[in-house]
Amino acid sequence: MKNKKPKFAFFDFTDCEGCQLQIVNLNTVLVELLEHIEIVNFREATSERRNDYDVAVVEGSVSTPHDIERLVKIRRQAKTIVALGACATIGGVNAVKNLNPPGIAQHRVYGDKGKNFETLPVKPIDCFIKVDYYIQGCPVHLNEVAEVFKCILAGKKYDMPNYPVCMECKMNENVCLYQKGQDCLGPVTRAGCGSWCINNNNICYSCRGLVDNPAVDAQRDILDKYGLKLDEMLAKFSLYSACGGEKYDQEIKKR
Amino acid sequence: MERYVKISKKDFYKWVDSLKKHGKVYAPKRKENTHVFRPIKDSSELDLNYISTILPPKKYYFPQKESLLKFSIKPFETAKAIQKFEEFVLFGVHTCDLAGIQCMDVVFREDPLDPNYINRKDRMTTVGIECLKPCDKHASCVSMGNHVPRGGYDIMLTEIKGSYIIHLNSQKGEDILQGHSYIKKCTQADRNLLDSLRKNKERVFKEEFIGQLTEVYTVFSKLSESGVWDDVGKRCVGCGNCTTVCPTCYCFDVKDELDLNLNDGLRYRWWNSCQMDDFARVAGGEDFRPGRVSRQRHRYYRKFKYPIDKFNRYFCTGCGRCSRTCMAKINLTETVNDLIKEHRNVSIGI
Amino acid sequence: MFQSEFKKIIPYSPYRTLPAEIIAVKPYTSLEKLFRLRLKGNAEFDYVPGQFMEISIFGSGEAPISLCSSPTDKGYFEITVRNVGSLTGALHNLKKGDLIGVRGPFGKGFPIDDFFGNDILIIAGGLGIVPLRGLIRYIMHQRKDFGEVQILLGCKSPEDMLFNDEVEQWGRHIDILFQCTVDKADPDWKGNIGLITNLIPGVTLNPMRTYAVVVGPPVMYKFVIKELLKKGIPDRQIILSLERRMKCGLGKCGHCQINGIYVCQEGPVFKYRDLRTLGEAL
Repeated sequence: MKNKKPKFAFFDFTDCEGCQLQIVNLNTVLVELLEHIEIVNFREATSERRNDYDVAVVEGSVSTPHDIERLVKIRRQAKTIVALGACATIGGVNAVKNLNPPGIAQHRVYGDKGKNFETLPVKPIDCFIKVDYYIQGCPVHLNEVAEVFKCILAGKKYDMPNYPVCMECKMNENVCLYQKGQDCLGPVTRAGCGSWCINNNNICYSCRGLVDNPAVDAQRDILDKYGLKLDEMLAKFSLYSACGGEKYDQEIKKR
Repeated sequence: MERYVKISKKDFYKWVDSLKKHGKVYAPKRKENTHVFRPIKDSSELDLNYISTILPPKKYYFPQKESLLKFSIKPFETAKAIQKFEEFVLFGVHTCDLAGIQCMDVVFREDPLDPNYINRKDRMTTVGIECLKPCDKHASCVSMGNHVPRGGYDIMLTEIKGSYIIHLNSQKGEDILQGHSYIKKCTQADRNLLDSLRKNKERVFKEEFIGQLTEVYTVFSKLSESGVWDDVGKRCVGCGNCTTVCPTCYCFDVKDELDLNLNDGLRYRWWNSCQMDDFARVAGGEDFRPGRVSRQRHRYYRKFKYPIDKFNRYFCTGCGRCSRTCMAKINLTETVNDLIKEHRNVSIGI
Repeated sequence: MFQSEFKKIIPYSPYRTLPAEIIAVKPYTSLEKLFRLRLKGNAEFDYVPGQFMEISIFGSGEAPISLCSSPTDKGYFEITVRNVGSLTGALHNLKKGDLIGVRGPFGKGFPIDDFFGNDILIIAGGLGIVPLRGLIRYIMHQRKDFGEVQILLGCKSPEDMLFNDEVEQWGRHIDILFQCTVDKADPDWKGNIGLITNLIPGVTLNPMRTYAVVVGPPVMYKFVIKELLKKGIPDRQIILSLERRMKCGLGKCGHCQINGIYVCQEGPVFKYRDLRTLGEAL
C-alpha cells in the first residue's frame, strides 16, 4: 500500500456502547475495512490501547466535567473526529436527565452520595469540540457507517441526508402510521436510516434529529387533524432530543 | 386469435398461475389495510379487489434505485451496470396506472431516450383490469378520463357475470393467452354486455372536478399567484409522500457509491422529490424554488400545465394516491376545484 | 441538445462518461482553478460558448460546469471551477495527467449567429465571467465578424478577479472597450469601485444593433436588465445565462426546471424576452 493506513480509535462517553457494538456487527465489511484502516484503540473489540490515532470515533454525550477534559484531549490528538450515534450527535436518551431539576438524577442513582458525583446537563459533543463527521441514529445504521468511513478514507465531506424519513418510508412502501392513528416523527426527522423502525412496525422517535428546515406548523396541524396531542408527540420527541434545548424548543414549541 | 376473448372466473386462477412462464409476475397483494404490487408465487396471493396500491407500479420500470454505470477510477473505466433485464408480467393494473405508464413513456422515450427505462419496459407484459365502481373520494379518474381503458396494456380484463372479458391489444397479449383451451371466443352477447357495462359506468362514475379539463388548464394558466397555493403550502409538511406515490413523478437524483477500495463503484439514480429542501439548490447555496408554497404549486403545475404545453398530455392520472397519502390532507380534487371557483369568481367580478 | 458525436461514442447509455485528461491546471484565486482538458484519444467535439459539460469525479458524483474556452481554441477545452463542495473539492485536488469523466456539451449556448454584424455589450458579474470568457475568446478570434465590442466586468475585489492575465490584455485591445469595477479595493486600485450597474448609464451604444450579454449572480440580473432597458435595448437582444442544478443534462431529472422549461435543454442561455413570462426564472 502506498499510503499508511489511517489509525482509528473508538471512545465512549455517556452512552450504552451499543453503537460501537453495531460497528462490530459490520462483520464482513469490518474485515474488509481493516484492510484499509488500523484500529489502535477499541475497547469492545480489541485489547490494544494506543494513543497515536488519526481518527477518533466518539460515542456518547458529555455529562461530567471530566468528560469535557477527555474530549478536548481527544480532539487535540485526532485529525478527524466522528460523532457516532444519537448520544454524541444530538445528546440522545441520556438527555432526559435535563428535563428534571439539577440534582435529581444524582440522588436517584447514588442516593445520599449523589453530591460526590459532579454532573452537568447532558450535551452532544459538538457543544465542546469541532466535529468533522456525524453518524446519526440510535443505534447507527450500518450502511451509513460504511458510507462515512469511506468518505473519511477518501478525504471527502459526508453529505447527511436533508430530507425526512417519510421519503425513505414511502419508497419502502410502508403503510403510513398516521393512517393507523399513530403519531410518528418521520415527517420532521432526518432520513438516512431507510425508515428502519417503521419497517419493523415501530414509530419514528427522531433519533436522528430534525431535518434542517422542519415544517413545524404543518406538523402541528397534522396532529390536530388526527386527534393527536402535541404533548404526546413532544414526549416522544424528548426521548432522544431533550437536550436539543433551545433550538428544538424553538422549532417545535413555538406558536 | 380474436380481439375479444373470455375466461370464466373458475379457470381464471389457473391461467394466472400459468403466467409464471412468461416471467416474474407482479400483482396487487394485500398489505395491512391496503395493497401493494409484489411478486406473487401463485394466484392465491393475488387480490384484485383493491383501491390503489401504496406505490404505483412505476417501481418496476423506474425503480427506486437504478444502477446506471459501473466505474473504476484507476484505470479510468466505465461499464454497463446491468447486464440483463428480466422479463416480467405486471398483472392487474388499473386504468389510472396505465395512464401513468403512458405518461412515463412519453418522457423517457423523448430524445435522448433512456435505455434503462426502455429496456425494462420492453420486457414488461401488462395486464390491465377495469374498475367497475368508483373507488373512493380521493380519486379523480373520471375528470381525467382514465376510468375507462385507453390503451397502454397488452390485455385488459373486464369482469362480467362470472367471467372476465379480455381485450387483446398486442402480440405480447396474445402470447400469454395462447394454448389455453378454457379461453373462449367472445359471443356477440358478451360484447353487448361489455357495451352496456361501459354505458352503465358513465352513469355511476361522476366527474370529480367542477369544470372540464380545458377550464382546468385555463385556470392553471392564470392562477399561479392564487391564495389557494398559500393555503396548500402552509399545510404541507414537506414529507415528499405525494411525489413518491405519484405514477407520473419521475424526478431523480444521481449518486455515486464507492467500494471500500475507494477505486471501483457504481453510479445510480434514485427517486427524488421537488418537495425536498435541497431539490433546486445549486452548489453555491442558492435555492431557486424556496418554500413549500412554490414547491407544492410546482408539483401541481407538473400535472396540469407544463406537460400539456410540452406533450399535450395531462400528467394527473386521477389515481388519488397523493391525496390518499397526504398526512396534511391536501386533496388534489379540492385544490383544483378551489382554483376553478376562484377563477370563476374573478371572471364575474366577485 | 445531446450531440450526435457523443451518442456514437457512448454506445450503452447517455449516462456514460468519456475520459478527459487534465493537461494543465491554473489557479486563479484561492478558490478558483482553471482546468485545461482534452478528450482521451484527442477526439474533438464542437460546442458553442455558453454550453456546459457534466463533469464526473467518480466517487464524488457529477456536476454541470460551464465551458470557458472557445471552440476556436483547438486541441483542448477548458473549465474554471470554484471549490465549493465535495465534487469541486475533489476536482481541485487533481493534477496534470489525471483523468476525469465528461459528458456533453449540453444546452444552448450564446446565439452567436445572431451576434454576427452587431455590437456586443458583455456584462460579467462575479463567476459570470467564466462562460463569458469563452464568448470573449471567440469574439477575439473572429473579431471582424462583430461590430463594436464592450466588456463590463465586476467582481468583489481585485484579488477575486478571474483570468487576470487575459483581462489585462482585453484592457489593452484597441478594438474592445473594457471597463472593470470592484466592490472593494486597496487605495492603489486604479479602476472603478462600486456596483456594475453604475457603469451602464455611462456606456455609449446604439441600442437597436446592440446585443447585451449578461452573466452574473441572480441578484445582479434585475438591476442590470432595468438599466439595459432604460438604454433602449430590446428585450430580445438581452441575453442571459441562468444557473440551475442541471443534474442529468438530459431533460429528465427535474432539478433544473424553471416552470415548464428544462434549463439543461432550452438554456442555460436565454433571451430576456423569453424569460419575462417565466415566473421562476429571475
